[in-house]
Amino acid sequence: MTQSPTLRERAEGEAGRLPPLLARAEHLAGTVLLGEHGRRRAGLGDDFWQYRPAQIGDSRRMIDHRRSARGDQQFVREREWQIAQSVMLWVDQGASMRFASSEALPTKSDRARLLGLAVAILLLRGGERVGLSGTDLPPRRGNIQIARLAQALAVNAPQDYAVPEHRAMIPHAQAVFISDFLGDMDELRAALTKAADRGVRGVVLQVLDPAEENFPFQGRTIFESIGGTLRHETLKAGDLRARYLDRLARRKDDLAQLTRVTGWQMGLHHTGDSAQSALLWLYRALDRGLA
Amino acid sequence: MTILGGIGFTAPWLLLGLAALPILWLLLRAVPPAPIRRRFPGVALLLGLSDDESVSDRTPWWLLLLRMLAVAAMIIGLAGPVLNPQTRQPGGGPLLIVLDASWAGAAHWRDKIDLLESQLTEAARAGRPVAVLSLTAPEPLNFQPADVWRSRLAGLAPQPWQPTGAQMDTALAALADANQGFDTHWLSDGLDYPQRADVMAALQARGDLRVFQTGTAVLGLSPATFADGAVQLTAHRSQDAGAREVTVLAQGRDPGGTARTLASVPARFAEGEAQAQAALSLPSELRARITRFEIRGQRSAGATALADDGLRRREVALIAGREDREGLELLSPLHFLEQALAPNADVLAGALGDLIPANPDVIVLADVATLSPGESDALTEWVEAGGMLLRFAGPRLAASDVSRADEDPLMPVRLRAGGRSVGGAMSWGEPKTLAPFAEDSPFAGLAIPDDVTVSAQVMAQPDPTLSDRVIAALDDGTPLVTRKEIGQGQVVLFHVTANAEWSSLPLSGLFVEMLERLAVSSSAKTPDATDLEGTTWRPVQVMDGFGALSDAGALPGVAGADLAAAPLGPDLRPGLYASEDRRLARNVLDADTVLAPANWPAGVPVEGLTVAPERPLGGALLALALVLLAADVIASLALSGRLGPMRRAAVVLVAAFLIPQPGQAQENDNFAVRATSELVLAHVLTGDKRLDEIANAGLMGLSDTLFFRTSVEPAPPMGVNLETDELAFFPMLYWPITSEQPTPSAAAYDKLNEYLRSGGLILFDTRDADIAGFGASSPNGRKLQQLAAPLDIPPLEPLPPDHVLTRSFYLLQDFPGRYTGRDIWVEAAPPDAERIEGMPFRNLNDNVTPVVIGGNDWATAWAIDADGRPLLPVGRGFSGDRQRELANRFGVNLVMHVLTGNYKSDQVHVPALLDRLGQ
Repeated sequence: MTQSPTLRERAEGEAGRLPPLLARAEHLAGTVLLGEHGRRRAGLGDDFWQYRPAQIGDSRRMIDHRRSARGDQQFVREREWQIAQSVMLWVDQGASMRFASSEALPTKSDRARLLGLAVAILLLRGGERVGLSGTDLPPRRGNIQIARLAQALAVNAPQDYAVPEHRAMIPHAQAVFISDFLGDMDELRAALTKAADRGVRGVVLQVLDPAEENFPFQGRTIFESIGGTLRHETLKAGDLRARYLDRLARRKDDLAQLTRVTGWQMGLHHTGDSAQSALLWLYRALDRGLA
Repeated sequence: MTILGGIGFTAPWLLLGLAALPILWLLLRAVPPAPIRRRFPGVALLLGLSDDESVSDRTPWWLLLLRMLAVAAMIIGLAGPVLNPQTRQPGGGPLLIVLDASWAGAAHWRDKIDLLESQLTEAARAGRPVAVLSLTAPEPLNFQPADVWRSRLAGLAPQPWQPTGAQMDTALAALADANQGFDTHWLSDGLDYPQRADVMAALQARGDLRVFQTGTAVLGLSPATFADGAVQLTAHRSQDAGAREVTVLAQGRDPGGTARTLASVPARFAEGEAQAQAALSLPSELRARITRFEIRGQRSAGATALADDGLRRREVALIAGREDREGLELLSPLHFLEQALAPNADVLAGALGDLIPANPDVIVLADVATLSPGESDALTEWVEAGGMLLRFAGPRLAASDVSRADEDPLMPVRLRAGGRSVGGAMSWGEPKTLAPFAEDSPFAGLAIPDDVTVSAQVMAQPDPTLSDRVIAALDDGTPLVTRKEIGQGQVVLFHVTANAEWSSLPLSGLFVEMLERLAVSSSAKTPDATDLEGTTWRPVQVMDGFGALSDAGALPGVAGADLAAAPLGPDLRPGLYASEDRRLARNVLDADTVLAPANWPAGVPVEGLTVAPERPLGGALLALALVLLAADVIASLALSGRLGPMRRAAVVLVAAFLIPQPGQAQENDNFAVRATSELVLAHVLTGDKRLDEIANAGLMGLSDTLFFRTSVEPAPPMGVNLETDELAFFPMLYWPITSEQPTPSAAAYDKLNEYLRSGGLILFDTRDADIAGFGASSPNGRKLQQLAAPLDIPPLEPLPPDHVLTRSFYLLQDFPGRYTGRDIWVEAAPPDAERIEGMPFRNLNDNVTPVVIGGNDWATAWAIDADGRPLLPVGRGFSGDRQRELANRFGVNLVMHVLTGNYKSDQVHVPALLDRLGQ
């Protein structure tokens, strides 16, 4: 008796989170579509292929009346049949992503989900199949997939630094990995190597908070990870800055080198910047991979 | 008490604690601050990094300084600092306090009284008997305990004059009568006056003399004069204290009768100048309203100048009976009048019919004999309302039959035919001269020049009333000027012409003076004693020392000569005096007053007025220390990064302290602003919480529906408390009925009836689906009958199928809510309502029905929750949704009906209108 109300409340809470993310993602995606006005790529199933005489078994609504009106015979308009690509999405749901250095900035997780869902919407509208990497949500097409993606993206993962999901990679598909990539590099390396082995190519987008780039800290400080599993105490945080930045740069270099080797592309996005430019870059990068 | 740098310390040794501050500084500096805890995902990159030095960051210097200041403030505060420590030794023996108590001290009277009080307190502490002597109202010295005098302080007031000679004599006599020695404190107003030195000598002979005198200059204002088209104002000051600007305000009544500042003008004292001039140019309408001028911020009789007739320019309309001879100016009947009046009156010219509506003060008819009946009536009306009609005789008047047999209403006397001519070439006798003016004549006291002669005049018929009406006569006793009062006004007839044809009067200065006395014109300059000789002036309003006017009451009249020249004193108070129609102001200063500062010999100590009371500073310093420590807490928290979560709480806390609680008026205003800035649907609060929530949710749903579907865009609905809230803001009220709700008070019913009469609509909902037949079968139905009994509700009928509610937005025939009752009741159609030919509807009531009564529980059907979903179930399945939809449509129709009235009914006329337009 007591179970169902809480379950329902939680479900409504979860559901309540979806529409805003979805709406924002659609909004963001809409701006890109406008920018790409008139663009039609192979893969759409809309292109005219040929007229053929209507046969028994054709539904009446398939009849092209514009063509049929020219003569006595009824024609059916056939469209070009094209193969769509599969795109697998991995958005870091780890605790480290739920960080924003100031109230004015969105959390990294928020931005990552927004970008992930927006690019998924664009791809789905483009006729591709989009899903999550792993086995939870295999790539499918259609608008309903957007809702499923939004639902799946709204789940927080408990661990501090999430591990890239690289199981059940579909060969020769595309992949998008969005994370801060501050966790273990070996896992990422394994994932990307495995993907390269299977002919999967894609995009790595690193999302960082401005504070992570600047390290604006002074004085005696205890740094803790968001989940609280890691901690580091220092007497003079200011002195650590140069070395931290050095490590960060090296991390980025590693990432760049890894993507180069595996044939992926790498992008960097800061939560202080506009999401639209990141989405544009992401979409273009995928476009290059798909073409 | 030890005094260091002007500040006394009760416990100076505590100050040694300040020496410990540097040690504290070093100690605080050595202790590292607590570590800051930060969440930071980049910590993964930091792992393994070690610090270069083992020394922690130090506490920032400003935080150390804050703490040092807090400790220092605490030490100094505990040391008991006192500002203005009093070290003077009190004297002994009797004390005389002398007050000038003239207008010059009125501006600083508060300070004087404070000083007096502090001296009385001091004297009371020392047990000294005290006498107080006001030089402007001297009394014999009366040494009494200081407390007795303290209770009489409130009765002391400055007088609007300087000590007069008689008063100084009284004061000197009082001093001489005192049979003991005493010390004297003299609270001087800072102005010199005669015999001051004598009093000073008498005081010094009895004991020590100390003078208290403010260092600021005494300011005064001379009477305003009118010259060069502007009001000329002169401000005076007693001391040259460098360049200074004062503002002179012109006070008066606005057309609504409210006293206010009509104009202000700056007057600038140049360096070294004791006078400052200002000119104020005002329209004559405004100028005539001015009652007084005063210097801003100087509340004294001397800084106030009352305005009188001198500023008032009367409007005089001149009308001549004969103006046909162009160019013969000296023969023009009006020439001399114009000359006499032009300097100080506004002369109007034109046709009589045009001038009367302009309501001039005086109308002069020079040799005008007959007036048309219309003019005569208008003129009579004007005179009775207080106008002054001044007529001059002349050949036409002499030749006419005006006022011959019967006295013309607009003539003071009857006239004999033809008049008379004396002293001409064809007559016997000499030209006549004027007899001296009688005592009761308005011209009494005017000197008659010898060369004023009269050679022709019109003659008055001897009537019983004649002698009362003569105000000037020739030396043979024949009337020269006669006067009659009509209503509030008067008619004055000069029995000679207004030009020099019949007499030399218009050529003389006497003519101008006579016009002044008659208040036809007003003098531009302040009249002197000779001008006012023989007149008696009645005080109308008198000024006190602060410059405030009060009714003169039963004060005796003052002779004109005294009014002009005698010094002010108890017998001649400054103020406004009246004689007949003239008003004259006697001000404290006159045009050539010089404000001389009081100079004291070198041996007399002079002190300022300001008393600096002892002020202990310890509490303030301790409070400062606490504030600093609180700031230190916040700063420390901020440094250690723990302020974030507390910031909001702190802001709320501070706001709770700083923001005053909004009062009831504020709430009412907020209510009114909320209710009126947008259209708001409202429901009556029944006291049943659940029901009120549903009603609110229902109206919220209806508001949303309206917002989506129509151009009506209501704000969120409001609950209305019938007892306290204003109803007029709401187009309709939804009133759900429960059997438990309280019956409104009589005042609330008044409000409700007012609301219904002024076009409001109340939707009564019994919510039981049963009452539609008005049966008393349900508790809610009975309650509705009980509630609605005192309401002013017209006859009702079940909603007819052609009522405008059925088509004001949607076409409806059912009005379901949660229930689907058909019958709802509205105002009955008039019995003569008929269907117009060719129209599907009758032309029903012209107004919005004041009540709609039903029981379908509409609010429940309209109600939505915060997410916009239906709150409560209605019906089953699709038919339920349909029912909810119809309920919403009814709501839309209802609001449309409320807002547009019978607009939809009027639409039935559209075809006829179009037809008439030829479309």
